[in-house]
Amino acid sequence: MILTVTLNPTLDKFYWVDHLPLSLERVEEEIVIRALKSSTSAGGKGINVSIFLAAHGVDTVAMGFLAGHTGQIILRDLLSRDVTANFVWIEGESRTNVTILEQGKEYHPVRIHEEGPEVPHPAVDVFLRKYERMLARAGYVVLAGALPPGIPDDFYRTLVQSAKLRGVPTVLHTGGDPLVEAVQEGPYLVKPDVREELRFGDMPLRTEEEIIRAGRRAVECGVKACLISHHVTGDILITSDGVWELEAKVPLTTFKNLVGADDALVGGILVELTRGAALLDAVKYGMAAAVATAEVEEKLCLDKAAIERELDHVVIRPKGGG
Amino acid sequence: MKAHELMRRDLTAVDLDTPVTRVIYLMDQSGLTSLPVVDEEGRVVGIVSERDLIRAALPGYLDMLQSASFLPSVNQLARRLGEIAHEPIAKFMTREVVTVRPDDGDFHIADIMIRKGLKQIPVVDADGHLVGVVRRIDLLHRLKP
Repeated sequence: MILTVTLNPTLDKFYWVDHLPLSLERVEEEIVIRALKSSTSAGGKGINVSIFLAAHGVDTVAMGFLAGHTGQIILRDLLSRDVTANFVWIEGESRTNVTILEQGKEYHPVRIHEEGPEVPHPAVDVFLRKYERMLARAGYVVLAGALPPGIPDDFYRTLVQSAKLRGVPTVLHTGGDPLVEAVQEGPYLVKPDVREELRFGDMPLRTEEEIIRAGRRAVECGVKACLISHHVTGDILITSDGVWELEAKVPLTTFKNLVGADDALVGGILVELTRGAALLDAVKYGMAAAVATAEVEEKLCLDKAAIERELDHVVIRPKGGG
Repeated sequence: MKAHELMRRDLTAVDLDTPVTRVIYLMDQSGLTSLPVVDEEGRVVGIVSERDLIRAALPGYLDMLQSASFLPSVNQLARRLGEIAHEPIAKFMTREVVTVRPDDGDFHIADIMIRKGLKQIPVVDADGHLVGVVRRIDLLHRLKP
């Protein structure tokens, strides 16, 4: 079973529009933008990974905090997708994240993210108890996404520590200070979330050299593998055995929605690892899943045949000096 | 159809020391009419239903009379609920839990539900860990023509 932790789940709301006004500061009293279509689904990075895994027949349990009416919708959506849910209910309302995709500019979505409800201390204790119990049944743990208000920056570090004590490998998919903190405990795989900032702690991630330097520092902390986005269709994998460049040879014009691509990448890697694949093969499958996801309008591509087709477009090259 | 195909994969459960007030909150939030109670290892050791909570809040003789019409007012119920609000649920739960296994069939589950008058049954694995819940509506929904 793969346990995913999403501390700040979201109801993802997507709107597809044919045109967005260049400016919202026109003299009209209001601007009406009619959506060509919309979709709603349970979200948050760990939840997306769970949805991907469940669609691939991998047993998965999603954990975190849910609140209010929005939390009920998130739970219902997860259960309908065969994801096992083990959430702690708190006061307030789970957040809703809105993404607006303009036709022809899907690579540049407009996103509105809510902060999410504050997590009270007693709820954190309940969560930790549940987490410890679930670790006994977990093959991997995925810690993913931003922290909600009320959760300290070193919380993922605590969760990595607990998993490590029980011999459960962790996959860390987050950014900012929570990432820097948790890396100190040597999780198995790290996929920094660089959507908001091209940094890994105090290290910039703009150039290939900077990415490799940051990855190597993570490996020095005991991380088995660090996978960092280099550009839209390329990642760099850094392990203690070497450095590899992954490239998807597909035109950017085929991309329709990039929002869930990183989560499909993590999900794809885990699908293959649970099948016993070697890390490089697993990362290749993950990359194919990310590309297939970017090529569909839905947040995640759950079509195995489409992912298999993308495998031919993914190239892995060892980098010199690795 | 097997239990694992029917069940709601919701592991919402409470601990033995969860206070009554939290249990009521969770039932309201989750929409479940009863909640499994689990031990430190996550094994199902009890179940608490709305009925258990009402029974805990009512004077014992009303249960025998099967009627609340002898209550002078609902204030008595509210006061008693207030008194037990922070008590651990272990005091009020039903300890004889009826559970099914993931590979148990729909007929077996339906039979237990009807015979024992249960609204939902926890599904547990070989170690007694909660893996889901089958509600009456899950059976009805899956079995509808």
